[in-house]
Amino acid sequence: MINKTRKLLSVHNLNKNYDELIAVKNLNFQVWEGEIFGLLGPNGAGKSTTLECILGTKIPDSGIVKVLNKNPLAHSKHLFQSIGVQFQDSHYPDLIKVGELCRMMSALYMDCEPYKTLLDIFSLTSKMNNRVSELSGGEKQKLSMVLALINNPKIVFLDELTTGLDPVARRQVWSFLNMLKEKGLTIVLTSHYMEEVRFLCDRILIMIEGEEVISGTPELVMYKSNSNTMEDAYLKIINREKRNDKIIHTI
Amino acid sequence: MTKLFILFKTEMILAAREFSGVLFGLIMPVGIMLLLGIIQGENPAFEGASYSMMQQSFPAVATIGICATGLMGIPLTISAYREKKILKHFKVTPTSPFLLLGAQFLTNFVFAVISTLMVLITAIIFFDYSMMGSLIKFVLAYGLVLSAIFSLGMMIASISRTVKTANLLCTLFYFPMLLLSGATIPFEIMPSGLQQISNFMPLTQGIKLLKSISLSIPLDDWIRPVAILSMTVIISLILSVKIFRWA
Repeated sequence: MINKTRKLLSVHNLNKNYDELIAVKNLNFQVWEGEIFGLLGPNGAGKSTTLECILGTKIPDSGIVKVLNKNPLAHSKHLFQSIGVQFQDSHYPDLIKVGELCRMMSALYMDCEPYKTLLDIFSLTSKMNNRVSELSGGEKQKLSMVLALINNPKIVFLDELTTGLDPVARRQVWSFLNMLKEKGLTIVLTSHYMEEVRFLCDRILIMIEGEEVISGTPELVMYKSNSNTMEDAYLKIINREKRNDKIIHTI
Repeated sequence: MTKLFILFKTEMILAAREFSGVLFGLIMPVGIMLLLGIIQGENPAFEGASYSMMQQSFPAVATIGICATGLMGIPLTISAYREKKILKHFKVTPTSPFLLLGAQFLTNFVFAVISTLMVLITAIIFFDYSMMGSLIKFVLAYGLVLSAIFSLGMMIASISRTVKTANLLCTLFYFPMLLLSGATIPFEIMPSGLQQISNFMPLTQGIKLLKSISLSIPLDDWIRPVAILSMTVIISLILSVKIFRWA
């Protein structure tokens, strides 16, 4: 259930530049408790930078970010007890076994979900004694989810979690995410799969070159772009922006 | 403390699984000690010397483990942890990534000490080795050499943006130091030109210091090696701190 009286994340006028390059420009959005929020856009649009500015692993040039009502830069260590994170293309030590990695990561938190239950849910229990390097792509992504959830977080950030997964594994991940949502978990994700976005997200924000282009429920975005599918809507919006850019350039 | 212990335990298990680390850090030094002992062990170091070849070689071979852990283990693991975003992941947990670095140092420290002890036991059991000088002074000097080499390793880890660069820099530091500073090939048999080049290496100075202490021969100038090793520690650490990036 989405609880519109409790904001778990708010981003206000966020800006971040890398030298000359504008990575995030005047970005504003908020995420309610129990919501799945999708941050979309082409490669290089600034999605990962936005997530990193929210988490404090990158320092924003300006703007206010509040996660669970606190500024992550000021309260990070305590705050991260309640936040789960999966970074894009994250990897693990070469020779570590699944069980050892889970034990090590649980040790970093005060209060932990017993990881064996999580491994069970994600059908990874039989892989406890396997090295992480021996897992398939899908199993590795499931393991990243176990690690993102190991501290029983209130909000999780998933950066392109399903990229590279086959359709079966991707759908498995979807059903896990939906199950977690039912339990009240708030999820912020980035994705390139519009079918996935349509299936999972309550609200989305599409960004191009660091700026918001459109936001709202997937239905609203489809309606506004006069499309029947999310993929159509996304392509129309991206192409329209590119055309506009070209026109501005020409002028 | 529990956190550090769990991280340390995991790092120890991973280090023991890494074949190249075990080979270069533990098997190779013991092998070299055996080889040197068999070839020339109980002969006097030179005509009329009051100490044996073995007594002269032990302090040098004792540092091979420091090199393998400090110039290979530390920089390669830390730069891999950066590239794999493991350090960054620690930043978004309630635990500081410094704890992981601490566990990594502790693991390499323990490995280096185990390596030296294995070399020492080999020398005692097979070649009747005994240290002529002060053990306490030797341990203190060993600590200084270890600090210098580990700081250099940390500097390599900070400079390298990728594991590939780290690999290249490790090779550039590790092999010349291992071969020219007297750790493997005795310094005494090198041509004087090479000795002069070798004298610039912190490890050469470290081995000189360890040799003079263990053989109980007064070094004409002990300030020089101590100063060079201390400067290595200070400069490398300042550079490491300035350049280091978590991600």
